[in-house]
Amino acid sequence: MDVTAQIHEQLTRCGIRLAASLPDDWVAPLITRIAADNQIRHVPVAREAEAIAICSGAFFGGVRSVALMGATGLLTCTGELATLNLRHQIPVFLIVSQRGSIDDHRIYQEVQGRRTLPLLQAYDFPYHVVDRPDEVSSIPDAFETCRLQKRPFVLFLTRRLVKGEGAT
Amino acid sequence: MKAREAIEVLARHRGEAVAVCALGMAANEWWAATKSEDSFYMHGAMGFAASFALGLALSLPQAPVWLINADGSLCMNLGCLLTEAAQAAKNLKHFVVANGVYQTVGALPMVNEGRTDYAAMARAAGFARARTIEAREELARQMPAIAAEDGPSFTVLRVEPESGFLRTPPMTYEGPEMKYRFGRALERRFGIQVFGPQGY
Repeated sequence: MDVTAQIHEQLTRCGIRLAASLPDDWVAPLITRIAADNQIRHVPVAREAEAIAICSGAFFGGVRSVALMGATGLLTCTGELATLNLRHQIPVFLIVSQRGSIDDHRIYQEVQGRRTLPLLQAYDFPYHVVDRPDEVSSIPDAFETCRLQKRPFVLFLTRRLVKGEGAT
Repeated sequence: MKAREAIEVLARHRGEAVAVCALGMAANEWWAATKSEDSFYMHGAMGFAASFALGLALSLPQAPVWLINADGSLCMNLGCLLTEAAQAAKNLKHFVVANGVYQTVGALPMVNEGRTDYAAMARAAGFARARTIEAREELARQMPAIAAEDGPSFTVLRVEPESGFLRTPPMTYEGPEMKYRFGRALERRFGIQVFGPQGY
């Protein structure tokens, strides 16, 4: 089973019924796979903060959800994550590509690589990095921690995980 | 018409609708008119009450969901029109109280005021039902049909700006308290589970 299928399987185990997304090329295969699952309502959005608010609304409908995006998109959501999710203690589970890592040699991702984790720490948003296929099974625990901590929780997918060892 | 008058007409035709209100004038006036706990009043995330309402409508298809938006908030997130039109939630109605100013901060004029046709923008995004209503009597006349029609629909309520600050007080619940009151109200009404057995 490839890693995208493994992540999808774990999201199903979490009871995810809605996914709101805006693609980054690392998470695009996962979005495509989820969009084809008729048990999950897929909501493509025009801006990542829409996904945050859609998942927050879904919480009150009793529906478990996930927001899928790239690291750059996560940076655009910080105001909404603070003034909606922190303000009201609404959990929102995000799956985000960990761009700007030492093996991501794209110049336009370098700030995301240096500043994203310190930014999450400043907001006190918990996060968990999934780097290897055998760590994908941690997703249900991460999802439950998000609900328990009642705040945004970011699950990062590394380049090695989504592209494979030694990918160029 | 005044914003308060428009909101009061909406409130009278609300029926069983669950409301999501943009922060500021829309939320404050809806609270003043309804004092309802099965409404969500945004405290922040300006522009994203629309997305919140869409997520709620998709997740709770048995509930009519009304979005009480305002023009300042709509313009913060015009892309919401594309997402709403694409999802085509039959239970979602989008109302925009449009006064052309940022009322809550002292009625400073909005960008491009007087030239923007929000209903035309909604139609261009794919809404089959979009209109602008300017008079209280016309709103009262049209509301039964608007309340009964399938969503997604988009209704602009063109209201007069007030002079200076509008001092209607906001609803009185703190952020987490409002979350629990709103969530528990939906659990009771719809028999759903928002919170788990340990309360989170």
